[in-house]
This record gives sequence, C-alpha cells and structure tokens, in this order.
Amino acid sequence: MSNTRRVVITGMGIVSPLGNSVETFGLNLMQGVSGIKRLQNDFSDQLEINIAASADFDGTAHFSKKELAVLDRVSQFALYAAQQALDNAGLDTPNINTDKTGCYLGTGMGGAASTEEGYHRLFREGQSRLKPFTVLMAMNNAAASHIAMHYGLGGPNITYTTACSSSAIAIGEASRQIAYGHCDYMLTGGSEALLTYGTIKAWEALRTLAKVDEQNPSASCKPFSADRSGLVLGEGAAMFVLESYESAIARGATIHAEIVGYGTANDASHITQPSVAGQARAMQAALDNAGLAPEQIDYINAHGTGTPLNDATETAAIKQVFGPYAYQLAVSSTKSMHGHLMGAAGAVELVATTLALQAQLLPPTMHLQQPDPECDLHYVANHAAPQQVRYAMSNSFAFGGTGGVIILKKS
Amino acid sequence: MENTFETVRTLIANKLEIDKATIAPDSVLTEIGLDSLDTFDIIFEAEDKFGIKVPTPKEEIKTVQDVANLLDQLLLEQSPSLQGQK
Repeated sequence: MSNTRRVVITGMGIVSPLGNSVETFGLNLMQGVSGIKRLQNDFSDQLEINIAASADFDGTAHFSKKELAVLDRVSQFALYAAQQALDNAGLDTPNINTDKTGCYLGTGMGGAASTEEGYHRLFREGQSRLKPFTVLMAMNNAAASHIAMHYGLGGPNITYTTACSSSAIAIGEASRQIAYGHCDYMLTGGSEALLTYGTIKAWEALRTLAKVDEQNPSASCKPFSADRSGLVLGEGAAMFVLESYESAIARGATIHAEIVGYGTANDASHITQPSVAGQARAMQAALDNAGLAPEQIDYINAHGTGTPLNDATETAAIKQVFGPYAYQLAVSSTKSMHGHLMGAAGAVELVATTLALQAQLLPPTMHLQQPDPECDLHYVANHAAPQQVRYAMSNSFAFGGTGGVIILKKS
Repeated sequence: MENTFETVRTLIANKLEIDKATIAPDSVLTEIGLDSLDTFDIIFEAEDKFGIKVPTPKEEIKTVQDVANLLDQLLLEQSPSLQGQK
C-alpha cells in the first residue's frame, strides 16, 4: 500500500453465538466453547436439520418499541455492534467530522425475517396487505442506513452482498476509504439474521448443512475432519472502527491491529463449487497488496466451512499460494464454534483474527478428530495454541465465487 | 364499544411508549413523534383491530382525531353491523 495511509483497527463490537461482547466472544473462542445447539422454536420440529448457532440477543432490551417497529433483527445486531465498536474506539460521534465518516456493511440476506413475515402473511394467512415498514425492514441496505442515521454519518454508505464474503469485502473496501484519505473514520463490518423457517429450509435443499452429531449436537460442525458433513448456519454481527495510523496515534487510541492487505477475486467458474485457482488468486492479491512474502504469514483464519468440498479446496489453495511453507503455518476454522454467519462471517472471523494477534494465541479448530488426507495442514486441532503471530490472514469465500482476504499485522 | 379515538390513542401510546394522557384529539401527529410512515403503521394496526381496510387517505391526516375520524368513516362503510366490535 505505497503512497497510501496506514489503516488501523481501533474499535470492535460483536453480537455472536459466542456472546455479545468482544471479551465474552474471545473467552469462549479460546476455550473451544461451541455456540451451536438444537433450535427450539415454533418451527424447529419441521426442520430436517434442527441445529444452528443463534445469538442470545433480545432486541427489546436495547431498543424502544418504536425503534423495533422499523428494525429487523439484522439491523438490531448491526446497531448494537456498532455502538460497542464506537465505545471501544473511544469515539464520540458529535466530536468527529461525520461528513468524513462512512459505513460499509456486508450482509447476505438483509432483513430475511421481515421478508418472510410478509410472505407468511400473504400466502399463508391469506391477508391482502403487508406492514407499511416491510420494504424498509427487509432491504439489504437497511442496517447500514440505520447506522448512518443514528450517528449522523454523512460519508459514504455502501452495503455489500457477495454471500459469505460480504463483510470481508465491506471491511476491505472500507479500509481503502481510509488508505486513500477519503474518510477520517469508517464503521464497517457485517450483520446476518437468517435463522428463519424459509431460509433454513432453502439451505436444507442445498444439501450443504452439517448432519446433526447426535451424541453432541454442538460438535456438528467439523472443519477439516474426515467426518465433516457440512456447515452450520449462524447469526450475528461484528463492526469495526477503522482510521489512519496517524489519526489513532494523534488521539491516543488503542490500536488493536493494522490492516496491511486486502485482496478479492472471483472464481468465475461455478455458482457453488469453490475453485483452487480462485481462492489462491484472492489470497495472492492480499499478499501483493500487503507487499508480504507468503513466509511472513503466521496464521490463517480459514473460511473452513466444514463442507467436504470447501475445506479440501481451501487446503489446496493455501498450498498453491504458500508452497512448502503451508505445512509450517497455522490454519484454523473458528466456524467449528460460532457456525457460519454468512454475510457477517468475515467480520466475526476478523475479530477472532485480531484477538489471535493481540493474545498471541491461536483459536482452535474444534471437533477435528479424524484426519483427512486431503486436509493435511496444521489446523490447531481442538485446543487453542500459544504462538508468536506477526501477520495473520482471514479468508472468506462464497457462493457466487467472490473471495475476500484480509491481512492483519500485530500492532 | 370503545371510542375509536381511545383505540387510536392506545395504539399510539403503546408504539411511542408514552403516557396516554399526553395524547389529545388535536395532538399533531408529527409533534408527538409520528412521521407519515409511523402513521401508516398505526393505521395498519387499526385495520387488524377493526377488521377493515383503509385505502390511501384523500384528506390530510394531521392530528390524532383525523386518524380516528378516518377509521370511523370506514367502519361505517365497511362494517354493516358494529356488534361485537371492541
């Protein structure tokens, strides 16, 4: 990133299946706690696969009735995580140039529950009218718009939808707003709230969901293990405050990590099947952007969905980019614990990656009991591992083929 | 049967989480914190409650009493018998 400003993370906030604060998330993550559990709600008995990683989040505790009337769960998550990130960064929006502060957010399905509620009313209940706020709650850009309105952020406001890489792309693009000097601060991340009956049924139909581990449902997501059977859907949000290194130093902010590289590429081959070449291109683009040699990366927070195809493909792509060094670096999939948060996955996993850099401790890949000859790297199996980490990479790949890779440097 | 104004007042107070007593018939909707979309949302809730359908209003809806009047007019048109209405 020559001739550009250094970009640092000074604030983080989270709503996740592992807790609704960065501290709780980090403790659970490093202790190998799983947030995956059986769903117990009014439709769970109609599901073939009734496990998910839901967030223990009650909007009524944080928002007024009037606010809740216009906020889908996805926007509630985003706003709650954004406030944490601002607090964590020590930023008070009335005291900053909000015209030069923007919000880039990733989400896969936006207000899925509001869309579904509308359809339910029309098709199931036979009603002829929908709630006046349906469109405004369901649209993908609602969450980012509510953040802008709530804090008066008059800078760029863009929502990215590239399925599972949405928030990695949002954060990467936001980092460029800082790097190029267009903005003073960026609030960026992702949010997803798609644990609805219709959405889960649609995922069941894709046959990519993990079979329930009947002995231990919380261990159903088994990335890189020979007995892995698929992904587990999750929900939540993570938001970051980004600013220039000079800005952070000048105001005495705590720098959690520095974003030194971002790369994106498309598989351009198949709507669901990942490609080694495409994933490798995205990782190489991030390395090139950072000006780093592969040997400088110590840890990769993998996309690691737990599907048979992804994990083998990602392993092959890592080997293609890193060569023999692939066997020396550490790779882990924290989705084994927090599930696949889709449009929020990249953001939540960037929190995990930041914590690894801060704590010099690698979060584990849980439930990895059976080695797979196709997945033969060091996956930090089942226990967090202390290790020196200078540079860490976070991978996000997606249906539709868009990969987003971010490289962080220890501050 | 509960007065329509009372019903509207209850819906608004519930939505805004304010004391019902602060809402008068001539309270201006925008002044008590309801923009046009919020008002449609209140009318939508009233539709469910009264079992009526409200077309896009022709007259300007400005006060709480305007909302109640609109509903009363539709109740007369759309409900031949008001028996059983709460």
